[in-house]
Amino acid sequence: MSVFFVIQKDRYIDSLETLSETAMLNDQPGIGTGYVGMATEVFKEVTKEIGLSAPEILAAADSDYVIVAEAESEEAFNNAVEKLRTESAPVDDEEKPVSFRTSVQAKEHEPRANLCQISVPGEYALEEAKKALNAGMHICVFSNNVPLSDEREMKELAREKGLLCMGPDCGVANINGAALVLSSINNRGPFGIVGASGTGIQHVAAILPEAGSGVSQTIGTGGNDLKEAVGGITMLMGIDALEADPETKYIILISRKPADSVLKKLLARISGMKKPRVVFFMGCDREAIEATGSVWAENLDDCALRALELIHSDYSLGSIDELKETAKEAVKGMAPEQKYLRGAYTGGTYLDEAMRTMWDAAGGIWSNAPLSKEWKIEGDSREHTCIDYGEEEYTLGRPHPAIDASIRKPAILKEASDPTVAVIVLDVILTPPGHPDPCGYMVPDIIKAQKMAAERGGKIVFIASVLGTTADWQDIRKQEQELRDAGVIVCRTNYRAALLASEIVKLRRDAQ
Amino acid sequence: MTDTSKILSLFRSELVVVNVGPKSFADVLEKQGYKSLQVDWKPAAGGDKRMQELLDYLGGY
Repeated sequence: MSVFFVIQKDRYIDSLETLSETAMLNDQPGIGTGYVGMATEVFKEVTKEIGLSAPEILAAADSDYVIVAEAESEEAFNNAVEKLRTESAPVDDEEKPVSFRTSVQAKEHEPRANLCQISVPGEYALEEAKKALNAGMHICVFSNNVPLSDEREMKELAREKGLLCMGPDCGVANINGAALVLSSINNRGPFGIVGASGTGIQHVAAILPEAGSGVSQTIGTGGNDLKEAVGGITMLMGIDALEADPETKYIILISRKPADSVLKKLLARISGMKKPRVVFFMGCDREAIEATGSVWAENLDDCALRALELIHSDYSLGSIDELKETAKEAVKGMAPEQKYLRGAYTGGTYLDEAMRTMWDAAGGIWSNAPLSKEWKIEGDSREHTCIDYGEEEYTLGRPHPAIDASIRKPAILKEASDPTVAVIVLDVILTPPGHPDPCGYMVPDIIKAQKMAAERGGKIVFIASVLGTTADWQDIRKQEQELRDAGVIVCRTNYRAALLASEIVKLRRDAQ
Repeated sequence: MTDTSKILSLFRSELVVVNVGPKSFADVLEKQGYKSLQVDWKPAAGGDKRMQELLDYLGGY
């Protein structure tokens, strides 16, 4: 295979479009690895890392668009480029939608516009939020790194106007059935969710349809809403709105532990709620929650199950005994030196949940986002290690790994090349702007890794969980099956994947 | 307690989204069957924060 490329001067497409074009390019016949993007410094570094660089690409400007790939022949490359051009080009110039200079202009053009989705660099978020709120629109702010004082200001303005301010740093919200930003596509149903954790909301909302239920609205507050400086403004407004919404029959609240002063306010509000509700505030006192007349949940899985009990569903995620049996089978054929676990995560909440679950079995876990600072590592994994590929060191100048699957790609073969590794745990998060086939994308590396271990006389166990729904375009059932076909043990949830990994680690320790 | 009338009105209305940021977020909404309007956002004054503050002061965008 040889490397071919085309450079188009001054053609701009955004980073999400380049990702879908990259995925399409990699699917074309005769193409090995390919990459599409604007010739930024990050793009140049990435293409250099994966062996797709050329002097012309290095010399290209930020405003130039590049398609580069390793291909069997120039003809195969040209055919792939042609395919990209025809599939990505607007169907008809007349159908090309109008675009606007500001949200105010857009609202003037379409007075029915009722929600503004804002994804601009954090320093500009307040200004855009104010424009949209002043124009009478509710807002969903995906921007992160927004100063807390800016967040407070936009939320106070929203409250004054009676408008909803979801975020900043709101990755998950589902309004009137629409999956905003990075949400999964959810079934509609009687549960309203307000949450300060995007993954948390998505996790619970994705389990409900398994029991035939779904969500009325999910409101993402952003991770900082329950901090002292912000005061839980969106959480409190969300509760009020869902209490008043006739379509919402039950309410679910999800957050990490709120600041003490905010918790006090919230508990007072929750005590006065009329609708049945489940509350999962990580690390909060059970008695305090139950004293408000709410159902207390221990973790995200429990939160979904407790919610389903409200509609008399006996849906189960399976028992711990089943996992113990699976673990016994899984360790058969491992080499004596195989004893460590490695986790490669795309979701920070999932990494956190998994490390807490596996900590005791492992006796400590190294990480770039560790549970306690003495377990922090930079660079290569050692012993038991879990890496968060959503941390800045991997995502600077690139989208989140839930969108750009290539960020975590090197992890599988890197971890599998260590002969002491027994088990590799992966999370997969489905989202409309994400990779069209994230599990299929990992399969060739998983198979290669299993072969490497077999050649050393051992066996690597892969465990994965997929977060998403059958309504997601990637279809959770199809994604899970692709992994199972490659010999991966697929668990229903991230927590169960971590429990299974813990059982394997215990068995390997006992075998030493 | 919040005046929830505008939020409840949002829940009862057809969702029409103004998207300020990557166009793909608007595309995936359209693909789900929701109407969206795209704002081609770029930092005013080429990203110069001080100039931005000045423009804000002058009431510009």
